[in-house]
Amino acid sequence: MASRRRMLLKVIILGDSGVGKTSLMNQYVNKKFSNQYKATIGADFLTKEIQFEDRLFTLQIWDTAGQERFQSLGVAFYRGADCCVLVYDVNVMKSFENLNNWREEFLIQASPSDPENFPFVVLGNKIDIDNGNSRVVSEKKARAWCASKGNIPYFETSAKEGFNVEAAFQCIAKIALKNEPEDEIYLPDTIDVAGNRQHRSSSGCGC
Amino acid sequence: MLPAAGGEDEEKWLAEGIAGLQQNAFYMHRSLDSNNLRDALKYSAQMLSELRTSRLSPHKYYELYMRAFDELRKLEMFFKEETMKGCSVIDLYELVQHAGNILPRLYLLCTVGSVYIKSKEAPAKDILKDLVEMCRGIQHPVRGLFLRSYLSQISKDKLPDIGSEYEGDSDSFIDAVEFVLQNFTEMNKLWVRMQHQGPAREKEKREKERSELRDLVGKNLHVLSQIDGIDLDMYKDTVLPRVLEQVVNCKDEIAQHYLMDCIIQVFPDEYHLQTLEILLGACPQLQPTVDIMIVLSQLMDRLSIYAASSAEILPEFLQVEAFAKLSNAIGKVIDFQPEMPIVSAISLYVSLLTFTLRVHPDRLDFVDQVLGACVKKLSGRPKIEDNKATKQIVALLSAPVEKYKDIDTALKLSNFPRVMDHLDNATKKVMAVVIIQSIMKNITYISTSDKVEALFVLIQGLMKDMDGTQDEELDEEDFKEEQNSVARLIHMLYNDDPEQMLEIIRTVRDHILIGGPKRLAFTVPPLIFSALKLVRRLQVHEADEIDEDATTTPKKIFQILSQTIEALSSVPSSELALRLYLQCAETANDCDLEPVAYEFLTRAFILYEEEVADSKAQVTAIHLIIGTLQRMNAFGVENRDTLTHKATGYSAKLLKKPDQCRAVYACSHLFWVENQDGIKDGERVLLCLKRALRIANAAQQMVNVTRGSSGPATLYVEILNKYLYYFEKGNPQITSSAIEGLIELIMTEMQSDNPPSDPSTDAFLSSTMRYIQFQKQKGGVMGEKYQPIKV
Repeated sequence: MASRRRMLLKVIILGDSGVGKTSLMNQYVNKKFSNQYKATIGADFLTKEIQFEDRLFTLQIWDTAGQERFQSLGVAFYRGADCCVLVYDVNVMKSFENLNNWREEFLIQASPSDPENFPFVVLGNKIDIDNGNSRVVSEKKARAWCASKGNIPYFETSAKEGFNVEAAFQCIAKIALKNEPEDEIYLPDTIDVAGNRQHRSSSGCGC
Repeated sequence: MLPAAGGEDEEKWLAEGIAGLQQNAFYMHRSLDSNNLRDALKYSAQMLSELRTSRLSPHKYYELYMRAFDELRKLEMFFKEETMKGCSVIDLYELVQHAGNILPRLYLLCTVGSVYIKSKEAPAKDILKDLVEMCRGIQHPVRGLFLRSYLSQISKDKLPDIGSEYEGDSDSFIDAVEFVLQNFTEMNKLWVRMQHQGPAREKEKREKERSELRDLVGKNLHVLSQIDGIDLDMYKDTVLPRVLEQVVNCKDEIAQHYLMDCIIQVFPDEYHLQTLEILLGACPQLQPTVDIMIVLSQLMDRLSIYAASSAEILPEFLQVEAFAKLSNAIGKVIDFQPEMPIVSAISLYVSLLTFTLRVHPDRLDFVDQVLGACVKKLSGRPKIEDNKATKQIVALLSAPVEKYKDIDTALKLSNFPRVMDHLDNATKKVMAVVIIQSIMKNITYISTSDKVEALFVLIQGLMKDMDGTQDEELDEEDFKEEQNSVARLIHMLYNDDPEQMLEIIRTVRDHILIGGPKRLAFTVPPLIFSALKLVRRLQVHEADEIDEDATTTPKKIFQILSQTIEALSSVPSSELALRLYLQCAETANDCDLEPVAYEFLTRAFILYEEEVADSKAQVTAIHLIIGTLQRMNAFGVENRDTLTHKATGYSAKLLKKPDQCRAVYACSHLFWVENQDGIKDGERVLLCLKRALRIANAAQQMVNVTRGSSGPATLYVEILNKYLYYFEKGNPQITSSAIEGLIELIMTEMQSDNPPSDPSTDAFLSSTMRYIQFQKQKGGVMGEKYQPIKV
C-alpha cells in the first residue's frame, strides 16, 4: 500500500497572475509554449511519468489560478502536496514581493505537520524578456530571500525558451520524493461509521 | 436543496463523510494490494457513496471530493496495471457499471474511461461521448457539477486534439471541442437551475453557493482555450458563438457576468480583437442587472495592454476598427438599458477613454468623441450631485490632461468644457486644480490670449464666485491654497512676442478683475510682475532698435497696470497696492519715463497719507518709499526735490521718536547716491544726520522723564555709523572732529546710565570702535583719513 502511495508525487505551483505558471507546466509536460496570455480558472493538474533511481513515479503537477476571483472553491487541493513551487516574474517586482504571501498562505491552508521544513522551490521566470534588460529583481535578491526562508532551492527559468525548466522540475521531483509522507496508516474502526466522532480531529490524516 | 445548517453541523457531517470515505478507502487499498478486483470495486463504490451527501456546502463538498479524487488516482493506477497484465479494459468498463448507485457508478466509469482512452482500444471521441452522455444521469446540481468536473479533469490530457497522441482521423479535434462544449453546456444548465430550486428565503445562501461553484463551470472554458486545434476561424465560427449562445440564453445574472469575464480572461487577445463584433454583440442582450461596465473595462484593459506589447499589433486595431466597435457597443448598452445609473454609464466612458488614450494616443478625435458621447448622456439632466458619478467625471476629464501632459491638447477638445458644464461648483474647482497642477508639473506655457480665454473658462470655478456658492463654507486655508495656485498659473501665461503678451495681459486682467475683492490680493501681484517683466523686455529691445510704430509700448502697459492696481483699493489692501506702485515706479524709472514714475510715486504717497494708518505699517511703508526713491535717477531737480521733501517730511512725522530718528537718517541717502552721476549733496546729508541726532536726543530725554533713567544709546551708535559711512565716502561736511564729538557724546550718555546699559548696545559700540581702530591701523588712504580721529 505504501509503495503505491509513493509512486505519486503531488506538486502545487503558486504565484501571481501572469508569471507563467501554466506555461512552465506546459513546457515541462508537453514541450509546448504559447506567447498568448490565457488565464487559468480553478486548479487542475497535468501528470508526467518520471524515472528516478530506476523507479517510475507519476508527477502530478497542479497549476492554479493566479487571479483570486478564479479560485472560488478554495484550496482543498493543497492537501497532500509533496512540494510547493513558487513562481514569480523577474520583470515584475510585485510578483516577487508576493512570494511571501503565497508561501504563508500555502502553509496556513495546507497545514503540513512540519511547516519549517516543508519543501518549496522558487522559480524566477521570464528571464528571456528583452534579453534580461527589463528585469527588476536581481538573482542576488531572489537568492537572498530564498536563503532567508530556509535555503529554498532557486532556479531562473524561461518557459518560452525552455531554459532550465527540465532542471528545475528534476529538482522539484527529487525534493518531493524526499518529503516524508505525512499519512499514518489508517486503522478502521470496529464501530459503525455513522458514530465515529473521534475522526473529527484527524483531518491531517491522508492515506 | 441543502437544509439550513450551522457551520458546526457541517463540520460534523464533513468529518463523518471523511471517516466513511477513509474506512472504505482502507478496505479498497487492501483489496488492491491483494489484487481482489471485485472487492476493490465494492469498497470504492461504497467510498464514493459518501459523495451522495446533500448536506455539505460546495466548499466542504470540495474537500470531500478531493479526498475521493486522490483515492481514485490509486484505483486508476491499479486499473492500468490490470490492463497491462492482460485484463480487458472493455470488460472493466462493463464491470464497474454493476455498482448499485448511479453516482459511484459514474465516477468509476469515468476512472476506467480514462484508462480506456489511454489504452487506445477505442477512439477517444467515442468513449468521451459515451461518458458525457452517461453523466446526464445526475441531475442534482452540486453532485452533477462535481461529477462533470471530474470527467473534465480526467479527460483534459486525453482529448483528441491536434498533435495529441489521441488524435484520430483528420478532424478529430472537432470532437474534442464538441465534448468540452457539451460538458460546459450541461454544467451551466445545472448551475443556473440551482437558482430556482428551494425556497425563496434562501436566495442569498443559494447565490453564495452558486458563486463558490462557478469555477467548475468556467473551467470548461479554460480547457477549450488550451485546445490547440481551435484556430481563429474555428473560434470565430463555432466556439465563441456556441459559448455566447449559452451565456445569453441562460438569462441568469450571476452566470452571465462570470462567464463573460471568463471568456475575456481565458482566450487570447488576438482572438478578442478579431471577434469584437460577436463578443460585443452579446453585451446588450445580457440581463440588465449584469454589471457590463466591469466586463467591458476588463476587455479594454486586456486589449490596451496587448496593443502596447508590440508596435506591429497596432495596425491590427485600426484594421478591425476596434475603437469604433467598442464605442458603438457601449452606446448600445447604454441605450438599451435606460435604467442604468449615470455613474455606470460614465464609468463605461472612462474605460473607453482609457482604452483609446492607451491604444491611439494620437487620435484626439477619438477622445473628443468619447467626451461628446458623455455630454449627450448628461444633457437634459440636472447637475450631477452623486458623489461617485462626479468622481468618475473627474477621472474622465483628468485622463486626457494627464495623458498629454500638455493642457494645450486638452484645450483643443471641444467637448471638454461641455462636460465640465455638468459639474457642480465644488467639482469644477477640483477639476480646475487638476488642470493647474498639470500645467505647473509639466511647465506648459499658455501662449495666446485665446488659449488663456479657454483655460479660464475651464478654471472659472477658481476665478470668480459661482452662482449659489456659499462662501462661508469654504475653509480659509483652502481658499488661500486655491488662489495661490491661480497666482502661480498666471506666470505660465506667456508669449515671447510683446504684442501677444500684451493681449494675454489684457485677457488676464479682464478675468481677474471680476474675481471679487478676496481674490484680487492674490491675483493682482502676479499679473503686475508679469507685466513689468514685459516692460523690461521691451526696454532691452528698444535699446537695439527704436520702433516708432510699435503698438506695445511701456506707456500702454503702465496704463493697464495703474488701473489694475487701483482695483486693489476696493479690497482694501493699501499696503499691497503701495508696494506694487513702488515696483511700477521703479520700472518706469528704468524706462526713463519720468512722468510715469512720478505719477506712481504720487499714488504711493497718496495711499500713504490716506490709507496707511497703523504706525508700524507706516514705518515699513516709509522705508520702502525711501529705498525706492533712492534708486531712482530719472527725475529732474524739481520733481526730485518735491519727492525727497515729502519723504523726509513724513519720516519726521512718524509716531515714535526712534522710528522718526531712523527714518530721518535713512533719508540722508536720498542726497548721496553712489553711482556715476548720482547726487552728492553733502550739506543736506549732514542736515539729515543732525536732525536725526536731535530726535535721538529728544527720545533720550523722554525716556528720562517717564522712566527716571536714560534709554539705550543705540540710536546714537547707529547715527555714528552713518557718520563713518559718509566720512569714508568723502562727504566733506562730515569731519573727523564731528565724529570725535559724537563719540564723546555717546560715552557720556553711556556712563550716565544708572542701570548698566543694554549689553547689545555695548557690543554695538565696542565693535564700532574696534572698526575705527582697525581702519586707523590699516594704513594707506583710509588709514590716513582715519588718523585724525582720536579715541
